[in-house]
Amino acid sequence: MHPGIYETVLRWIPEKSRVLDLGAGAGAFLARLVQARQATGEGVEKDPALVARCVERGLVVHQGDIADGLDQYGDRAFDFVLLLGTLQELVSPANILQEAFRVGRHVVIAHTNFAHFSVRLQVLLRGRTPMTQFLPSHWYHTQNLHFFSILDFQDFCREAGIREVNHAYFNARGAVRFLPNLRAEEAVSLLQADTISRRSAVAEPGKTKTETYEV
Amino acid sequence: MAASPINFARGDLQDQKVADYQSPLGVTRTETVTLPGLRTQSGFTFEQVDVSYQTLGTLSPARDNAILVCPALSGDAHVAGTDPHTGRPGWWAYHVGPGKAIDTGKFFVICASVLGGCGGTTGPASLRPGTGKSYGMDFPPVTVRDMVSVQIKLLDHLGIPQLFAAIGGSMGGMQALALAVDHPERVCVCIPIATCISHTAMQIAFNEIGRHAVLSDPDWNGGNYSASRRPVHGLAVARMVGHVTYLSEFAMTHKFGRQRRLEQGANGDKSSPFSVESYLQHQGENFVKRFDPNSYLYLTRAIDQFDLFENGPAAETLRRLRSHFLVISFESDWLYPPAQSRELVRLLKRAGIPATYINIGTEYGHDSFLIENPAFAGVVRNYLENEYRLARD
Repeated sequence: MHPGIYETVLRWIPEKSRVLDLGAGAGAFLARLVQARQATGEGVEKDPALVARCVERGLVVHQGDIADGLDQYGDRAFDFVLLLGTLQELVSPANILQEAFRVGRHVVIAHTNFAHFSVRLQVLLRGRTPMTQFLPSHWYHTQNLHFFSILDFQDFCREAGIREVNHAYFNARGAVRFLPNLRAEEAVSLLQADTISRRSAVAEPGKTKTETYEV
Repeated sequence: MAASPINFARGDLQDQKVADYQSPLGVTRTETVTLPGLRTQSGFTFEQVDVSYQTLGTLSPARDNAILVCPALSGDAHVAGTDPHTGRPGWWAYHVGPGKAIDTGKFFVICASVLGGCGGTTGPASLRPGTGKSYGMDFPPVTVRDMVSVQIKLLDHLGIPQLFAAIGGSMGGMQALALAVDHPERVCVCIPIATCISHTAMQIAFNEIGRHAVLSDPDWNGGNYSASRRPVHGLAVARMVGHVTYLSEFAMTHKFGRQRRLEQGANGDKSSPFSVESYLQHQGENFVKRFDPNSYLYLTRAIDQFDLFENGPAAETLRRLRSHFLVISFESDWLYPPAQSRELVRLLKRAGIPATYINIGTEYGHDSFLIENPAFAGVVRNYLENEYRLARD
């Protein structure tokens, strides 16, 4: 992921916040947050070897698959829930997002922009699934299940009643301000969902586990 | 996670003299102290209880580095080092010692045999004061919380107001949990391993099979058996069943497969027993030498009755806690499946308690915490180290 994304998220998170990092990996960024922001941090990670690395760093970490939900956490247990580069790899991103908004007041999403011009050109001119610095894997190796653009994500948030409080866009040369959907390769958004309803549009019909939650 | 490179042939250290095992701790001894009265949960009063315990390492001047290791069903006070009488290594020698997961170079390690057991702490085989006879089945029912009460008395005796950590697997995990819940002011860190907040019907069922094997042995004689005629057959069967539940299919296939104890003769003789058969018989025979059948009844009953939240709803009970938790389960443990640990973690987290959870991929079943296990050892070592630094700041 672009280093600018991490710097941006660090800026967005006030001191002493309670932060949940979904897909925490080896915990490098969470450890930075805990140190730089005196945050109360916690990570969720699927891979036990990475969980062990988080323990080595002294982080509170929970081994589990985000796809199984976040039932171990109470409503509004966190100020910020981070999904940095994880959302596009989840089978049901909408359900996870709803869970994230149940346990956190704000959700931070970072994702790859599938409408960057190099991606468009590769599809158009080469007729092949694009590969870039930020989409480095062949189609048969990629962890990504969903390929969406910045505009796609904005549509999704609008329909779900999620408000984008802040955002930042990056490509290999740095921050992008103009024409992000064409020029940015990665995006990060700070989201808020004050109005998210129990039967929000985010949840897939019939798949939601959230009906029993008090939001 | 890929299976850790474990030399399972060495197995756990419980029932064997491990020839190649050289303890860096050398010979370690247990001590016995007689402590004043104890009232059990069932209302029975012991005028005094004997407690057999071992300490390793050095208590810091601030008395802040004590770790209580709580033994599992078949464990005793001899946690690490070489036993002067039997030559056996301690039951957790793989993980307790200088530079190990529980580092005796840093921490003061205490381990005591449990009430109701047969490791030197008062139990059914102990002499009942004034009678000249052992308690037998007149011993009162004991609970995991009674075991913890005895441990607290021992800590008072040793002058340790607050433990840095309580750690244990299986029945030991129940003790660590009960200690953290009932005595929140006495422990900073709690590490329950491969355990649960209460037994399921399946766990009770396996224990009932074990108890029934003992009870139906004619030599059990209502619990009044003599030293020369103990219900060893029943207890051996109980241990054999138990041992199967402690392993996994992978472990058994890996270790025994369909091998036979003796090579087949030229005539294709298949009468030699399967290796797994003789292994289980060996486990059973060894166990009865060192374990009291009545203790087996009392301890299995205690863990079946265990309910961490018997005194109030989980949310309320846990809100009073101050300990940090590291909860560990093993993917291949079908006796105490990971889901039970996850339920504990869910209750802890929802009560706002910092709890780290790891489900380790070790493929050797419930026994995974007793064997050589680098992934497990690394997590425990790093967690203790970080938490100790935090606690001292």
